[in-house]
Amino acid sequence: MAAPGPGEYFSVGSHVSCLTCLGQRLNGEVVAFDYQSKMLTLKCASSSGKPNLNDVILINLAYVSDVDIINDRTETPPPLASLNVSKLANRARTEKEDKLSQAYAISAGVSAEGQQLFQTIHKTIKDCKWQEKNIIVMDDVVISPPYQVENCKGKEGSALSHVRKIVEKHFRDLESQKSMQRSQAQQTQKDSTLSS
Amino acid sequence: MRMVHVLTSVVGTKCELKVKNGTVYEGVFKTYGPECDLVLDAAHRKSTEPNTGPRKEDIVESIIFKASDVVVVSFKDVDLNFARKDNFTDSAVSGRINGEHKEKDLEPWDGGETHHSDSLESLDTDVSNGWDPNDMFKFNEEKYGVLSTYDSSLSTYTVPLERDNSEEYLKREARAAQLAEEIEASATYKARVALENDERTEEDKYTAVVRGERDGHALSRESKYIPPGQRNREAMSWGPGRQNSPRLSQNSGGPPTPRSGPHDYSPSASSDQRVVNGGSSHWSSSPCPSPSRYPPGPSSLPPRATTPTRPPSRPPSRPSRPPSHSSHSSYPSSASSSFSHHGPTSPASTLPKRMSSEGPPRMSPKSQRTPRTHRGPPCRTPGVPPGLELISHNAPVEVPAAPPTRSSSGGTWSSVVSGAHRPRSPRQNNMSGASPGSSTLPSPQTGTVPIETTGTPSASSPTAASPAPNMIPSSDGKDCRVQETRQTSPTANKENIKPLESSPSISRPVCKGTFSFLLHLKNALPPLGSFLLYYVMFFFFSSLQLQPSSNPDPSFEQMMTKGPRDSVDKPKDLPLDKDGVVVITPGTPGSSAAPSSTSNSSKPGSPAALSPSPSAPDLKRAGLDMSVQTTPTSAYSGAKHEDKEEKKEAVQVRKSTLNPNANEFKPRFNAQPKPANTPTPPRPQGQPSPSIVVPQPPTVYGQTVCFPQMYPLTPVSPGVQSPMYQLPISHMTVSQSKPYRPVPNMPQQRSEQHHAPGTPTMMHSATAAGPPIMATSPAYSAQYFTCSPQQFTSQPLVQQMPHYQSQAQHVFSPVMQGSARMMAPPTHGQPSSSQYPEQTHTMYGRSPLPLFYFINETPGPMPQQYTHHSATLHPHPQHPQPSATPTGQGQQGGPPQHTGPPNHPAASPVQHPQHPQAAAALHLANQPQQQMYSALAPTPPSMTPGPNPQSPQASFPSAQQTVYLHPTQVQHGYNPSHMAHVQQVSVVLCCCDYGYFAHMQSGIVPSHHPAPTHPPMMLMATQGPPGGPQPPMAQTALNPIPVSSTTHFSYLTHPVQHHQQQL
Repeated sequence: MAAPGPGEYFSVGSHVSCLTCLGQRLNGEVVAFDYQSKMLTLKCASSSGKPNLNDVILINLAYVSDVDIINDRTETPPPLASLNVSKLANRARTEKEDKLSQAYAISAGVSAEGQQLFQTIHKTIKDCKWQEKNIIVMDDVVISPPYQVENCKGKEGSALSHVRKIVEKHFRDLESQKSMQRSQAQQTQKDSTLSS
Repeated sequence: MRMVHVLTSVVGTKCELKVKNGTVYEGVFKTYGPECDLVLDAAHRKSTEPNTGPRKEDIVESIIFKASDVVVVSFKDVDLNFARKDNFTDSAVSGRINGEHKEKDLEPWDGGETHHSDSLESLDTDVSNGWDPNDMFKFNEEKYGVLSTYDSSLSTYTVPLERDNSEEYLKREARAAQLAEEIEASATYKARVALENDERTEEDKYTAVVRGERDGHALSRESKYIPPGQRNREAMSWGPGRQNSPRLSQNSGGPPTPRSGPHDYSPSASSDQRVVNGGSSHWSSSPCPSPSRYPPGPSSLPPRATTPTRPPSRPPSRPSRPPSHSSHSSYPSSASSSFSHHGPTSPASTLPKRMSSEGPPRMSPKSQRTPRTHRGPPCRTPGVPPGLELISHNAPVEVPAAPPTRSSSGGTWSSVVSGAHRPRSPRQNNMSGASPGSSTLPSPQTGTVPIETTGTPSASSPTAASPAPNMIPSSDGKDCRVQETRQTSPTANKENIKPLESSPSISRPVCKGTFSFLLHLKNALPPLGSFLLYYVMFFFFSSLQLQPSSNPDPSFEQMMTKGPRDSVDKPKDLPLDKDGVVVITPGTPGSSAAPSSTSNSSKPGSPAALSPSPSAPDLKRAGLDMSVQTTPTSAYSGAKHEDKEEKKEAVQVRKSTLNPNANEFKPRFNAQPKPANTPTPPRPQGQPSPSIVVPQPPTVYGQTVCFPQMYPLTPVSPGVQSPMYQLPISHMTVSQSKPYRPVPNMPQQRSEQHHAPGTPTMMHSATAAGPPIMATSPAYSAQYFTCSPQQFTSQPLVQQMPHYQSQAQHVFSPVMQGSARMMAPPTHGQPSSSQYPEQTHTMYGRSPLPLFYFINETPGPMPQQYTHHSATLHPHPQHPQPSATPTGQGQQGGPPQHTGPPNHPAASPVQHPQHPQAAAALHLANQPQQQMYSALAPTPPSMTPGPNPQSPQASFPSAQQTVYLHPTQVQHGYNPSHMAHVQQVSVVLCCCDYGYFAHMQSGIVPSHHPAPTHPPMMLMATQGPPGGPQPPMAQTALNPIPVSSTTHFSYLTHPVQHHQQQL
């Protein structure tokens, strides 16, 4: 697949656009194409806007119509880098655990705020888990339901203070985000009103 | 490839997978298949509601999506470089460099022409230090257009000196020179100049490492730094050191060599260990198990023969003894001696004395036995394997002492024991066979015995040999002695019997005995295979007639019954006349003869030609008793050999052991017979025994039986003699019953089953009874040593008792198991003695236990015995009972018996054991006694339980029945007898005997009546046909028994019935 062979419909690096049977328009750079399964892999810009991340879309051409090649690329695609499989496996495992943990928390009736807080903490501190509705961080700090800063309890120390900082920042960010949304919403409303 | 690469690089990321129907699943991308199948872990169906995470129950462990079902899979925010491995490769690193990076152009160095020719030297010689000032001016002028203002005259800084010739100028010039000289001459100037002009650089002065002078230091330092050169030097020095070290290492190697030495040591150690192991193995294998035990046994045996404490010399003595034993003369002598002893003692007074004496000895044996160590000590100091030794010691002691003191009590005991041992009878048979052979037919026996195991001694030796030659020899010697004694006893018995009765009757009993013996022998000889054979044989027998299947049992039962009967009869007669002595002698002779004949018949018959053997025995009986005996023995041996052949070595061993046991028993018998027989030589006994048997049917038998029992007891050649005796006893009883009554015949038949002839059987029964008693008594004595000792004040007796006990135990075990008999010999030789003693001690602390143990130990035999004989089972119970009873008896009735019919008591006890084993009567007696004594001694219960478990239930029931019956009857009889016999054991035996006798008489007679048919039955049984008749006989006997002294009969019958049923 180094180069688009005679049997290949898409050359790596070319940009294509297609419309799925479900009416979803997809476009991106061709990363790979498997003729056997008619699976086309596209690399798109990250939906979150992060520059170093991409969205990868795997498309089954059997359910796609209107495939357009925006621009073709004849250059030889870059060589493939070797992959650290164990690292991938660990990621898969940790992701699964996280999801299950999250699911456990959800099934335990944890509020959305709690879940969000958990996710936030988990980004910084991997060693956090659900115990009933309490978040246990580093087996030392316990965050009980309202999940506010004052709910962080545990042995006084750096751990507790650190967790409190995280929680505090989480809610501050949450507030700012909400305000942002509000402002944006207001702006949009204004815009709409203005436009109207 | 790229698809694989991309998919792999996104493994472990969250993805949303949309399928054809529009459903979206979210999960962690786990892996993919060759067909682009996708696997999502922890996937859940994504709900339309936003911000609601999956619930635990919504998550599926993993979902596999077929590529054909997937429309779109989106991986959000994926770092495609997450898993790149080459983050630090040159290409990866270079790829990340920021900004432009131009490399400088390199210029070739041009040294200039001046340096071309010159190499490094030119440089050294080049004084020029860098650029010449003129060159620099020039270069700068040309390069940069800078013109230097440098003036070499330095006019701007100074004025030139104007020279003139004026005086004043000269003066000033001279003055300037003087001042300059002064200044330069000053030290300060020189010092400062020196500092300024010092050529040494600071490095040289302060930091440089100077070598020249410091070499010496270097030398000193060499050790530290070890510069290359120095290293070489040092290496030299070190070399040696190192070499030394190597040497040291080598030395250490030397050490290693030492190590190797150690290794050697280890090897040696290993070798030592090996040796040790070997030793241990030897110990364990031979010494510990049997050899040591055997040795003790043998030693004990020798002691028996001469002194208890001869253990070491014993083996030799044993061999010698065996030969002597083999030699009729020796046997006769021993027999005669024993007889003589018996003769003196055996007579009424002697018998009581013996009983008493035996009682004590036995008591001592018991005590000894009970405490194994005690056994060893009492019997012998050797006490290598306490149990074994003790046992053996006891046995030996018993043997020697028994013969002398056996006369009455010993003989009775032995006989009883033998009777009890009947189960062991196989062994006993073997033993008896060997012993008879040796004793009766020195040449034949020797020949046969050797053939079997190398003569009786050999027989014993074989047994011992398997375990331990030494042991064997000693055992053999003992056995031989025992055999001799036994033989003598048999002969004496026979002789006695002859005088009293017709040899035929004796021979018949013997035949029966032989049958039983054969059965036992078979059982004993080939523990397993032989067991099978035995079983078969037993089955045949049982099926045939007299409970042949339980032939051992029947025989035992018969023996027991006979023995008891005889004993009973004897008691009756004896008590009246105290014919016990005389009767005993007959009985013993008969028993001896019977054993021999029985052995012969049994052996042949048992294997295949049971009938032939009987016939042969008969013929033999017709012929010389001795010859007959020998032949029987030979036949037994032959049968044994056959069995052995079948079972081969083990069997041989067993046989040998059996033989030894038999020998031991025989000695006992001999001893007993001797007392009784004293009148008649042992050899003649064989013949006489038949005659005796014939002449003295019931009464005589009873007496004879008692005597035989007594003899057996005294001889203590439990195994052989006891079997022999037992068989003989049974035969005797049978024969007696035959002549007198069918019932006797029944017993005889039973015994005769092997050998049809009633008279022989009678003899056998008598002999058997005698031997059994002896054997049983020994066994019991061993078990009851304490009691026996008490009873038998004389230690010799006790020792003999031990022997008897051991033998008896063996016998018992054989009897008990039938196969156990066989086992008994072997066991006697090896396991039996040790095991038995130990077991007995442990279990019952007495013979019963040993017996059980033996049985247990000899699983093969045991099963057979069990299967074969409920009686055998009974024997076990009996044994226990006997043991208990003996003790109890010894305590209770022993004295009375001794006093009254010492022989009977002694015999009775023995018989009881034997009977119990062989015949229910004994069991009954024992049981009654036990019951009686049960209160006295706990052993009875244990014993009974032990037997019960081992013995089939039927046997137990029978035993119980017998017990019950016996209690009444026996007790009655016993009470008197017991009263007469002060010693418990003797009393017990007596009681048992009496009870048996009474039973035998009363019940047996009826049974015997049917027995007449039985005789043929017996033959049949031996052959197989008799079986039918036998059962009837048994039944008939049962019926009669209940009526009269039914207990025994009931036992007999029951056992028989049981056997039949079992069969």
